[in-house]
Amino acid sequence: MSQQPAPIATSDATLSYTPEPGSFDEVHTPDGQLKPHWQHLLESFQSIGKEALTDRQTKALRILRDDGATYNMYSEAHNSPNLTWGLDLVPAVVVPGLLERAEVLNLLLKDIYGPRDLLRNGVIPPEALYCHAGFLRACHGVMLPGEHQLILHGVDLMRGPDGDMRVLTDRSQSPSGAGYALENRTVMSRIFPSLYRDSQVHRLATFFQRLRTKLTSMAPNQDQPRAVVLTPGAHNESYFEHAYISNYLGLHLVQSGDLVVRNGYVWMKSLEGLNRVDVILRRVDDWYCDPVELRSDSVLGVANLLEVVRAGRVVIVNPLGSGIIESPVFLRYMPDIAKALLGRDLRIKSVETHWCGNNQDRDYILANLDKLVIKPTYRGNGENSVLARTLDDEGKAALISKIQKSPYQYVAQPELNAGHLPTYVDEQLVPRPSILRTFALASDASYTLMPGGLTRVAMEQSAFIISNQAGSQSKDTWVLASEPERVSAKRQDESLSQPLREAELISLPSRVVENLFWMGRYAERAEASLRILRTVFMILNGEESITEECKRVLLKTVTEVSSTQPGFVGDGNGDNKNIFDAPEKELLLVLKDPKRVGSVCSNLNAMLFCADQSKELLSSDTLRVINDIRDALLELEPALSIGLTSAPEEALDPLVTALMALAGLAQESMVRDVGWRFMEIGRRLERGIQTSAMIKSLLVPHLQEPAQDTLVQAMLLSLEGLISYRRRYRAAINVESALDLVMLDTNNPRSLLFQIMQLSQHVEALPKPPTQENQLSPEARAILEAETAVKLSRLNELSLQEQGQRQNLQKKLSRITKLLGTASNVLSDKYFQHREASRQLVRNTWESKR
Amino acid sequence: MKYRIKHITEYLYAGRVSHCYNLAHLIPRDSQRQKRIKNNVRVQPFATYSSKREDYFGNLAFHFEIQKPHNKLVITSTSEVNTETQRGEISLDLGITYSEALQLLATRKDTEILLAREFLYDSPLIKYFPALKEYAAPSFAPNQTLLSGAMDLTKRIYEDFAYSPAATTVSTPLEKVMETKRGVCQDFAHLQIGCMRAMGIPAKYVSGYLETLPAPGQERLVGADASHAWLSVFSPTEGWMEFDPTNNCVAHEQHVITAWGRDYSDVTPLRGVIFGGGENPILNISVDVARI
Repeated sequence: MSQQPAPIATSDATLSYTPEPGSFDEVHTPDGQLKPHWQHLLESFQSIGKEALTDRQTKALRILRDDGATYNMYSEAHNSPNLTWGLDLVPAVVVPGLLERAEVLNLLLKDIYGPRDLLRNGVIPPEALYCHAGFLRACHGVMLPGEHQLILHGVDLMRGPDGDMRVLTDRSQSPSGAGYALENRTVMSRIFPSLYRDSQVHRLATFFQRLRTKLTSMAPNQDQPRAVVLTPGAHNESYFEHAYISNYLGLHLVQSGDLVVRNGYVWMKSLEGLNRVDVILRRVDDWYCDPVELRSDSVLGVANLLEVVRAGRVVIVNPLGSGIIESPVFLRYMPDIAKALLGRDLRIKSVETHWCGNNQDRDYILANLDKLVIKPTYRGNGENSVLARTLDDEGKAALISKIQKSPYQYVAQPELNAGHLPTYVDEQLVPRPSILRTFALASDASYTLMPGGLTRVAMEQSAFIISNQAGSQSKDTWVLASEPERVSAKRQDESLSQPLREAELISLPSRVVENLFWMGRYAERAEASLRILRTVFMILNGEESITEECKRVLLKTVTEVSSTQPGFVGDGNGDNKNIFDAPEKELLLVLKDPKRVGSVCSNLNAMLFCADQSKELLSSDTLRVINDIRDALLELEPALSIGLTSAPEEALDPLVTALMALAGLAQESMVRDVGWRFMEIGRRLERGIQTSAMIKSLLVPHLQEPAQDTLVQAMLLSLEGLISYRRRYRAAINVESALDLVMLDTNNPRSLLFQIMQLSQHVEALPKPPTQENQLSPEARAILEAETAVKLSRLNELSLQEQGQRQNLQKKLSRITKLLGTASNVLSDKYFQHREASRQLVRNTWESKR
Repeated sequence: MKYRIKHITEYLYAGRVSHCYNLAHLIPRDSQRQKRIKNNVRVQPFATYSSKREDYFGNLAFHFEIQKPHNKLVITSTSEVNTETQRGEISLDLGITYSEALQLLATRKDTEILLAREFLYDSPLIKYFPALKEYAAPSFAPNQTLLSGAMDLTKRIYEDFAYSPAATTVSTPLEKVMETKRGVCQDFAHLQIGCMRAMGIPAKYVSGYLETLPAPGQERLVGADASHAWLSVFSPTEGWMEFDPTNNCVAHEQHVITAWGRDYSDVTPLRGVIFGGGENPILNISVDVARI
C-alpha cells in the first residue's frame, strides 16, 4: 500500500469514504484504485444521500425488531434486554473459495473418531486430541453413512495486512450465523430493493433449500422422515436464529424435554403421542447432548441419545463430537494435515498460529508475548482470548504461569489488523475492521458454499475482538454473480413445496402447545385487570362523586379480578383502612409491579415469555404486536409517573389496544391447528373465569341507587357492553337486563355463555385417543355442566337480593368458576407433558469444568 | 487360572423409578493376560432395550433402558475368565531406566508410545498438584529401572496409607487422600496414577476383581469378595505393567480385569439417568470370585 487512495469525491461530499492508511482495505486495490464492484455500491450510497440513508437505517432496525431478531446478551442482570441484531447498511462483498477446507476437515473428523491415523503416524501430536475437552471418547466409532461426517461447516475469515484471506477459526459444533445472514439479506433487499437487484447478488435461498434436502436425505428411515431443530431454549444467545431457521426450513423447533428415547429410537412428544424423529439439526453443544454418556448433569440433552445415534437410528447434524474440529491447534498443523489427507496444502491459509504445547512454539510465544493474542484451545470453559500487551506485569505473570502449567490448553496468534470495510457510523462512511463467517454444506461428493455469509464489523476503528457478544455490528454479505440470476429459478427441492402431512400439522411438541395455551390465558388475564383498572380510574377521577360503599366495591373488584395480594379486602374499616382511603398507590402496584403475582405487568411478562417459547409458530405480524406490547409495558412507567391526577386510564389504552390486536391476529392469521385451538381454549377459559369474577364482585352486593347504577355501569364498561346496552335498552340501568347482556347473550362475544360455548366447540375438536368410548370426557362434562347452568338461569332469580346480597347470583357464578377450573386442570393433565425431573444415578463432581 | 465371577448390583430406591437409562462396565474385557470365556448380564426388572459394545478403550459397555416402573434394580453379571500372570512375571530390575524412559517418551514416534501419551495428562478425577511429584520423586532415581521405581512407589503407598473404607467416597479429591493418608483401592490407584503422571510416565486405571483366599482353616465366603482397582504403568520398551498399591504387589493371576481407562470416570461400573426414585437410594453390591 504505497499510495494513499484518494477519497471518492462526489456531489455529496459528506458521504465520502477514506480508508485508513496502513491497513488493508476491501474497497481499493493495493495501488489505490477503487474496485469496480465497490464503485457501483459506493456511488449508489452517495446518490441516496445521508438523510435517506439514516432514514433507511432506522427502517432496517424496525424490521429487525419486528422480526424478533435478537442476540441475547449474557449478563449478570436477569432483566437485561435482548439486543436487537445489529445490521450495518453497507454490505460486504466477497469471493468464494473454501470447499477444499471443508473437505479436509471432514476427513480430519472421520480420522479422529475412526482410525486416528494422523495421530498414529505422528502428523498431529497426541496431545492435540488427548488434552482437548472437545475430544469425546464416547463418540469414538460413531459414523454417519456416506462420505460426510461434517455436514455444515462454518468458517471465520479475515483479510490480513498482506491482502490475503485467512482462516481465523473453524466452526463445526453447530455453526451459528446462517440464519442471521438470511435475515440480514431479507432486510437489505427490502431497504435497498433496486441496489440489491442491480448488483446481481447471488440469492441465499438455494443454500437453505439444499440444507433442507440434505437433512431429509440423511434420515435412516426414508418413509416420511421427520427432522427437527434442537435448541437449548429461549435464553440462548442465538435463539432467534434457531426459531428462524426451523421456520424457514419447515422443521419443528424442539427442546430437550420435547424429545425422549424409547425402544432404541428418538421420539418427539406431541399431543397425540410420540412421533419418531429421524434427523436432528442440533444447536446444543455435543458435550451436553446426552446425560447418560456425556455431561451427566446436562438438562439440555436427551438421555441415551448417543446410543440411538450409534445404532444408526437417528442422525445428528453436525455429529456429536465434531466440536473437536474447532480447536485452533489444528490451524497450527493444517498444512501437514492437508498434505496427509489431500496430498497438498490448502490455498486459503490459516492465521499464523502457535501452540503452547509445542516446545519451539512455546519458546517463541514467551519471547514475543506482547505481539500475541493468547487463546484457549477449548471454548467451553468461558475463558476468553487475551491481548497480552494490554496486561499489567501481574497479569502477564499470571498468564505465563497459566501457559506453563497447562501448555496444551493455549494457542497464540499475532494481533491482527483485519481488513477494513466501509461502514455507516454516525452518518459517515468510515473504515472498520471486519470478519466474514461463511458456510459450506455437504453435497454430493464435496461441499456447496453459501453464496454470502455474515460479515461482522467492529464498532471502533481498532478492535481486537470482533464478536456479537462484544457488541459488533453485522453486514449483509454479497457474492456477485457474473450475470443476473434467473428469477424463475425452480425450487430444487420438490419436497419443500409439498404440503405437510396432516399428521405433521397436529404433531406440535406438547410444550409448544402448552405455551400457547398459557399465552392465551395470560393475555386474557392481563386484559381483564387492565379493563377493570381503567374503569376504576375513570370512576374515581370522574366528575360525579360516589359513595364510600360504592368505591369499596370497586376497589375490591380490582383485587378479586387480578387476584393480587394483599389488595383491597374486608370492609375497609380494619387495618387496611388506609389503602381504601388512598387507593392510588395500591392500584398502581396492581398495574405495574412486576414482582407482584397477578399484576398486569407480571401477567404480561408471563405472556411474553410464553410467546418467546412458541415464537416459531407466530406470524410476523403477531411478533410485531408482541413487540408493541413489550414497548407499551416499558412506556407504562414514564406515562404513569406524572401522577394519577392526569387521567391514568389513558396510559392504559395502548396496552389494551395491543392486546386486542393480538387477539384479532390469532383469529385472522393463525392456522386452525391444534396450537391455535389451545390458545383459544386458554383465552375462553380465562375470560370465562374473569367475567364471572367481575360480575360476582360488582353485582352480588346490592347497593342503593345511584351507587347500584354506578356499579352496573362499571361492569358494562369493563366488559365492553355499555354501548350495546344503551342502544338496546335505552332505558335506565337495570341489573336484570345487564345480567342478560353479560351472562346469557350469545351474540355478545364477551358474555359468559359465549365463552363457554366456544370452549365446548374447541374441546370437541381436539385430537382424541382412538379408543374413545361414547362416555363424555371429564373436560367435556365440566363444560357441558357450566353451559347448562348458565342457560338454565332465570334473571329474576339471579337479581333477587336478600340482606344486601344476591345469593343466587353468587352461588351460580361460584359453581361456574369451579367447573371452568376443573376443565382447565383436566385438559392440562391430559394433554401437556409434565416432565418428571431426572437425576443422575451416581452424582459425580468431576465434570463441572473440563 | 480359570474363574467364575458373579457380580450383583442392587439399587433400592426410596420412591418409584418410572424410567431409567444406564451404562454399565460390568463385563470383563480381554487383555494380553486375560480371556473372557463367557458372560451374561441379567437386568431386573426386564430391560426394554439393551446393547453391548466395545468402547473407546476396548472395554465392554453394556447399555440398557427400563420402561417399567420399579423400586428395585438388580443387575447380575456372571462371567467366566481365564487369567495368567503378567508375561511370566518379568524381573522389575531389568529393562530401561527412568531417565531413558522419559527420553523415549519425548522423542519416539512409535505408535504405541504416541498412544500411551493419552495416559500422561490430567484426567477428570486425577489432576496434577505439586505434592504428587514431591511424594513420588524419591522412588525414581534417574539410573534406576523404571519398573523397579514403580514397584517402590507401590510399596511406599501400601506402607504410608491406611486402608479405610469410611474415609472416602467416589468424589473425594485426591488432595484429601494425600493429606489424610487414608482411602480405599480406588484412591490408592488414583494416587499412584497421579504420581506416575507427575513423574512423566503414562499410567492407567484398571478396575476388576481380586480373588480373596480364606484364612487358613476357614471356609471361603460366597459374595464376600469386592470389586477392586489397581493401575497399569507404561514402559516405552516393556509395554504396560500392572501394579496393585492396595496389596503391595504386581497384579497376578488373581487380578481379574473388568475395564481400564484414564481413571474411574471412564469405567464407572454403573452410571445413568433415572426418572423419579426419591433421595438416597441404597446400594448393595455382592461379588463372588470362584476358581473353577
